[in-house]
Amino acid sequence: MSQPRRRLHPWLLSRWVIVPAVLLILVFGWNLNVAMNATGEIRGRVVGPGGQPVPNATVQLFERSFVVNTEKQRTTTGTDGRFRFEGNASHAVQLQAEAPGLGKSERTTLRLLFRAQDADLPAPLVLKP
Amino acid sequence: MILCFLLPSLAIFLLYRVIPLGWNAVLSFQSWSPMRPPRWVGLEHYEEMLFYDDVFWTALWNTLIWIGAAPLAIVLALGIALLVNSDLKGASVYRTIVFLSYPLMTVAVGIIWRWMYDERGGFINWALRELGLIDKPLGFLQSFDLAMPSVILTDIWQVIGFYMIILLTGLQQIPQHLYEAARVDGVPRHAVFLHITLPMLRPSLFLCAVIGLLNSFTSFDLVYVMTNGGPGHATELLVTYIYKLGFGQTKFDYAAAVTVVQFLLLLVLTFLANRLAGGNAGAVEKD
Amino acid sequence: MRRGVPWLRHAVLILVSAAMLLPFYWVLKTAITDENIYAYPPRLLPQNPHPYNFVDVWYLIPFPRYLLNSIVVSLLAVVGNVVLNAMAAYALTQSFRAKKLVILLLLSCMLIPFQATIIPAYLITARIGLLNSYLGLALPLLSTIVCIFIYKSAFEAVPRSLVEAARMDGLSEWRIITHVLLPLSRPAIATNVILAFIWSWNSFMWPLIITRDADMQTLPLGLARFLSYMEDTTGALYAFVCLVLAPGILVFLMAQSAFIRGLTHGATKG
Repeated sequence: MSQPRRRLHPWLLSRWVIVPAVLLILVFGWNLNVAMNATGEIRGRVVGPGGQPVPNATVQLFERSFVVNTEKQRTTTGTDGRFRFEGNASHAVQLQAEAPGLGKSERTTLRLLFRAQDADLPAPLVLKP
Repeated sequence: MILCFLLPSLAIFLLYRVIPLGWNAVLSFQSWSPMRPPRWVGLEHYEEMLFYDDVFWTALWNTLIWIGAAPLAIVLALGIALLVNSDLKGASVYRTIVFLSYPLMTVAVGIIWRWMYDERGGFINWALRELGLIDKPLGFLQSFDLAMPSVILTDIWQVIGFYMIILLTGLQQIPQHLYEAARVDGVPRHAVFLHITLPMLRPSLFLCAVIGLLNSFTSFDLVYVMTNGGPGHATELLVTYIYKLGFGQTKFDYAAAVTVVQFLLLLVLTFLANRLAGGNAGAVEKD
Repeated sequence: MRRGVPWLRHAVLILVSAAMLLPFYWVLKTAITDENIYAYPPRLLPQNPHPYNFVDVWYLIPFPRYLLNSIVVSLLAVVGNVVLNAMAAYALTQSFRAKKLVILLLLSCMLIPFQATIIPAYLITARIGLLNSYLGLALPLLSTIVCIFIYKSAFEAVPRSLVEAARMDGLSEWRIITHVLLPLSRPAIATNVILAFIWSWNSFMWPLIITRDADMQTLPLGLARFLSYMEDTTGALYAFVCLVLAPGILVFLMAQSAFIRGLTHGATKG
């Protein structure tokens, strides 16, 4: 145990104070981050085979539990092909889009860092006939 | 008055060491189960164990193999300790790395090594196949012949750091002037090792041996996670067998009899190790 | 004991270190990738590392609950060891009748591995009604003989005159321990804390026997249970292993010297 030579009390500078303090700050910061970003919003886009936005496509949200995925919600895209889910409570969801005449998209897994994290789907869901 | 300060600790030791030891002995002569009142049956359990129970003999034999592997680990640890015990740069880093596995949770260590031994994703099978030593993956923990050595190797991996630390402490306590005198007299290096280092290390080596003995009792976690005694009873140790008897089949009385045998084995082997170490190594046990 | 070729010794030691560290790397690698576990050959370097396996562990199993249980039991054990051992060690530095007998008893208790008394220990705990409780989990770990002797030798290093003077001033025995002896034996306290923490944190067989509810399981139990229904098929298992090992490694690296001092002390003194 090295004795630091500053004006602070040596106990305050020992690693037994510093390491737990850093850990506490990290935990606190992480929880703050979680609290600020956990409204359960998931946003994304649906495009057709040629890349054009698809309005009125149905998007399903599946929630992952231990081994199975169950459907929790569905919504439809707006005129610009965008969709938005609210109130997602899971940390790992799957999304799939479908539009009459344009076919289905693949199921895309979106894994989040914590439950109900706000997220944007990085790539749009591409419909395939 | 002062005894009051001692009381809590003593109570714990009485409750969990002394009384259980006595109760265990009594239990082994009784027919007992949680629902029925006890009945004296004399040596019945011992008779069944020694003459009819093959699993007991397998477990006993495996425990002896486990103990027998300790000298191997101690020799390895001695080699490492000799290498680390010098003014080599970075010696403390090596020491930390070798010791790192010892204080870790044995359950986790067991899982880590299951993964190392895995047929497809495991490093060991991959390395052996890359080197062309085998052409089919080996199921180390599923094989009757390989399971025991594999689990023992894992155990050695975990405890070797502890042996090293003990031997290192022993090495550092050898007076330097002995070595200087040997150098002045021109004694060859291997003779120095045989006639100075080894005899001076005897207490430390004895300690390692006793820890190796105790280790056969405490390796429950490793065996439970890695093979659970299987395949068949290929890796069954007395301690896992006792657990299965007591808490799997609720044969507490019979399990107690096996425990008595195991404890006697420990005492006898400790005594023998003490003898081998020159008889005076018991001195380290006294404060 | 010096030889001319340090690089040779370095080479051997680096090889040994690699053998010691490789398993950790292998598990960490699997924990941060989505590697298909049935694919051969395994990749040596992690591809597309991501933290999501850790997220899965946190949510799919009651990880926070296991963590809480482990922390409570470890805390009980640490506090128990620091306080009870100090009391017992203080008593042993005083002279009283039957002191020889007590020391002999303690030394012979040291030779009894806890695993050898596990069945009656379970029956006793059942009889006092502590099965499936925090106290029951921690009780056998509350005081350790090795640690008592570590305190004892630290207390004996404190000048007797100091203790006598404190007694003259009318300090009670209890205050002598807390105000005179303990502040002068910080390394012994550290050793007690670390040994108690490591032992209770890693303890497996005892919790396995006396817990009944999933709610009371500690981390090692949770890990063994997770293994039994996931069977090495998922990166989440290895993420779990990493999470469980991290506190132990951290505490060990921070307190290596105190830890080694405690172990070698325990080893050479009994």
